[in-house]
Amino acid sequence: MIIRSLVLLALLAPGVSLAHGLVVFAFVDGGDVVVEAKFSNGRLAQAGVVNVYDAVDTKLFDLPVTGGEPVRFPVDPSSGGYRIEVVTPNGHSDYWVLTPNDLKGTE
Amino acid sequence: MTRFPLFVAATVLALPAQAHFGLLLPATSLAETREMPVSIAFLHPWEREGMTMEAPQNVSITFEGETTDLTGSLTSATLFGDQAWEVTVPLPRPGVHVLSLTPTPYWEPDEDVFIQHFTKTYIAAFGGDEGWDAELGLRTEIVPLTRPFALWEGNLFQGIVKRDGAAVPFAEVEVEYFNDSGAGTPSELMITQTVKADQNGVFSYSAPAAGWWGFAALSTAEETLPQDGVEKEIELGAVIWVEFQAWDAK
Repeated sequence: MIIRSLVLLALLAPGVSLAHGLVVFAFVDGGDVVVEAKFSNGRLAQAGVVNVYDAVDTKLFDLPVTGGEPVRFPVDPSSGGYRIEVVTPNGHSDYWVLTPNDLKGTE
Repeated sequence: MTRFPLFVAATVLALPAQAHFGLLLPATSLAETREMPVSIAFLHPWEREGMTMEAPQNVSITFEGETTDLTGSLTSATLFGDQAWEVTVPLPRPGVHVLSLTPTPYWEPDEDVFIQHFTKTYIAAFGGDEGWDAELGLRTEIVPLTRPFALWEGNLFQGIVKRDGAAVPFAEVEVEYFNDSGAGTPSELMITQTVKADQNGVFSYSAPAAGWWGFAALSTAEETLPQDGVEKEIELGAVIWVEFQAWDAK
């Protein structure tokens, strides 16, 4: 059920309709989740917060965005997936969903 | 007594030729999904009349300069009763994904010519819109000057007609609506709109209604192809499909 929910989210609702031009993308690299946040003109978000939610949308933790650098955190192979939201100080926001399928190979 | 029927026949026969268009039609140009079905066909888009389309020579998707060949993933389909093709394209990242079609030349006996339309369209995934003005380097290509997605109906669309990488001065561009709404027309002349490019190959067109609009700039290849033992000309088309969105006045 959790997996279904995440897959459905990933396929249908990345939520950019309210994103005000912020585009968030996350991928798995070497056992880490890498979070990229940039505006639709290509400029990297310079500040903000990354909110990480689990497969049932319970917040797990948050991390700062600083200087346009990608944010990384280690994958928990038992997590069942993540919803990763970025919010900038001026209120721009967007999120990306990593499904269990996206996390394959990190176990 | 025979003059009236002949007059009527002459009137009917004088109707303009239907315009051919290569077609690459995603479900939407503004994607919020990680994959999307795309229809591939050769047709008269206003009349919704398909033509039998042989397997394309190439279908690909380009993202941030990297091109992925999708030709092996095509599946047979039917559109408006004729042979067409479908492919599900991957959209793994936010940004502009450019779809490109190189069809097998189509023999059109009515015009005594082969037709090959190099066709492209754009999908903006997850709100990303960088790179929409990149040139693919097709043999003939319309390079957009207006972002070719997220347009309101009535917006002006501009592009440059190119052939072998060079702008084509005063190129003629045919414009046609993919008539999935069943729109009518007071005259056959309204179906295919025609504009000419300026001396720099730049053309402009303002779409009067929401939906998909095709733009086709035609030229003739230097080479020929044989048909029944006779060499025939090849019409090359630079085709781009652009989606316009309905204005929401709420």
